[in-house]
Amino acid sequence: MSLNNAKPGDVRLIKALSGDEKKRKFLCTLGCSIGEEITLISVLAGNYIVCIKDNRYALDYNMANSIELA
Amino acid sequence: MKIALVGNPNSGKTTLFNALTGKMEHVGNWAGVTVEKKISPLSEQLADFLRKHLSVDNPGDPIVVIDLPGAYSIDPYSGEEAIARDFILEEKPDVIINIIDANSLERSLFFTTQLLELNIPTVIALNKMDLLRHNGGKIDTAGLSASLKSQVGEIVANKGEGLKDLLLKAVQTAELKAQPAPIATGESSQAGTDARHAFTKKLATDYLVKNRASHEITFSDRVDRVVANSYLGLPIFALVMWAIYAFSINGLGGMLSGYINDTLFGKIVPDAVNGFLTGIGVHPLLTGLIVDGAIGGVGAVVGFLPLIMILFFCLSLLEDSGYMARVAIIMDRYFKKIGLSGKAIIPMIVGTGCSIPGIMATKTIEDDNERMLATILTPFVPCGAKLPIIALLAAVFFPHSTWVFPSIYLIAGALIIIVGLIIKKIYRLESSSAFIVEIPEYKLPSIKLASRQMLKQAKSFLVRAATIILVMNTVIWFMQTYGWRLQEVENQSSSILASVGGILAPLLIPLGFIGWQTTAATLSGFIAKENVVATFAIILASSEEAMHLAGGPLTDFFTPVTAFSFLLFNLFIPPCFAAIGAMNAELGSKRLLRKAILIQFIAGYTVAMLTTQIGTLLLYNRLSGGFIPAVFLTISLVGWLYYLMVRKAGNTKNGFA
Repeated sequence: MSLNNAKPGDVRLIKALSGDEKKRKFLCTLGCSIGEEITLISVLAGNYIVCIKDNRYALDYNMANSIELA
Repeated sequence: MKIALVGNPNSGKTTLFNALTGKMEHVGNWAGVTVEKKISPLSEQLADFLRKHLSVDNPGDPIVVIDLPGAYSIDPYSGEEAIARDFILEEKPDVIINIIDANSLERSLFFTTQLLELNIPTVIALNKMDLLRHNGGKIDTAGLSASLKSQVGEIVANKGEGLKDLLLKAVQTAELKAQPAPIATGESSQAGTDARHAFTKKLATDYLVKNRASHEITFSDRVDRVVANSYLGLPIFALVMWAIYAFSINGLGGMLSGYINDTLFGKIVPDAVNGFLTGIGVHPLLTGLIVDGAIGGVGAVVGFLPLIMILFFCLSLLEDSGYMARVAIIMDRYFKKIGLSGKAIIPMIVGTGCSIPGIMATKTIEDDNERMLATILTPFVPCGAKLPIIALLAAVFFPHSTWVFPSIYLIAGALIIIVGLIIKKIYRLESSSAFIVEIPEYKLPSIKLASRQMLKQAKSFLVRAATIILVMNTVIWFMQTYGWRLQEVENQSSSILASVGGILAPLLIPLGFIGWQTTAATLSGFIAKENVVATFAIILASSEEAMHLAGGPLTDFFTPVTAFSFLLFNLFIPPCFAAIGAMNAELGSKRLLRKAILIQFIAGYTVAMLTTQIGTLLLYNRLSGGFIPAVFLTISLVGWLYYLMVRKAGNTKNGFA
């Protein structure tokens, strides 16, 4: 299941990242790496607000789509 | 000795930089405010402190502090991150202060482990400790320091806490000339990255105590569900901006500006100087230069100072609250339609102050086409220097109405979308961008910070008035007083200014602008946009009535419709030369720059032409001057754009470059 299909409040582990290398690497530096916990806080104006480690980020549909949850 | 400030975006590097150096660089509670490196010597006070406390006295080597754009890792993702990396690797600072937001310890340590492998002495500054303690958190600094093999200081940069201690640690560490690495993971291979993540996780587990789970729904999250809501987001943003402008322009700021314009620079100062100069027997021409040229022109601009100060005070409060990151979320949907992402709102918001830092802020956009598009569109946002033009024409032609400023920003927004769409269609831009932005927690904005930012803005405004605008006013005064044979002219219309303006004036006929005066004012605006106001002030200096009053002498040149059109024309044609220089730097080629300027000129010209012609027809039931050429131009433009958009895909590459 990708992040797009998660429900607000879901706490999941990241199973895989897709997309080009540069994007995956960048997500990785934010701590968005395989095996890490991710929480979908809310979906606002088409953006996915997530909590990774101690921070909040807004990801658009494409970004969210490249994050596969376990 | 060079001290470089390095760390994640929004960790407080510029705040620390300001505290260490006494500077007033722009800070904001969002990622990506700083996009270039800034260098400044350590403040006198802190330098004194160091001299007293260090055994090694080293007066020959003054300390300079370098503020760098934020980065999440040593491998750059966007342009401003590369600036930080290049500086560290090429310039080899004597010591790095790695600033960490204590509230996002684990993520920040990822970059830290990379920095510690560079063999450059590094100390770690845990910033925003007050916020961490407030939330019930604690960090075992000694343990962290031992594990990282590096000194760690706790600071609260915006309150100046812990700075001296940090500075001592930095200077002592610099003496070591080397830095051991806590883990040697080698290059940026996947295994290396995993090892780093494991290490930072262990550090966070061992040394950080948190009182609440970070994924708990916070107050900020609840607020966001309202202010970044799909339906409410945009209206709330519009309301917030309207309130700020109403307060700054029509409220307090407008009142103070009105007083300065009408009374101080309208009567008191010119009368006093006139009296004084006549009294000591100064030649009437020189008196004219000083009173009408310098005081009249500069005064016309300086009068708007309170308005601008109050506006920037309010904007700074808004920025410090953390709201701007939410605006990026709201705008993402709309920007996606024109091939941009929500990140493009950052240059545009910065551009409300001045287009130059706005244009430079496009560095944060990673995709080339997106970045160039944002560079072309950012100057459409009315900058601080354009506010006097809006305020002047609003006061003369639309007194007591509060719709002028909001409508200008709405039109600017619409223009950005329309021009963006046309460019996207012509160049067949594909939006490949992936949008991601960090959302800071809301905080109570700092009045002290907003006041400092306001004073900084005021200072730069006054410096401009006293330099570039004053010089330009002198030139304009000279040009409108003398003819080509350097004889004093009886009638302004035979002056140098009139003939220069007159050459280009026919170009503006389809816009309904009559006379060389409007052309001259527009031309002077390319030096600095405030000059549009100053030039009118000089041209109209002999008039009996004050220029800023409703129904003043400007009504000789404009109807309310053409005044509004003239306003739009000056806002949307290419920006001042300095901003064009910034565009040149960001676009990186003269060919693209020419394209960008052409696009902006056509946009400004077309908006003004349509406003004049349609407005005159609808409101006054008559045809404006230049109706026939305007119809002809409109048809040609539509045809040309249509051709560009539908031509065969094979004829052109996708993208600008």
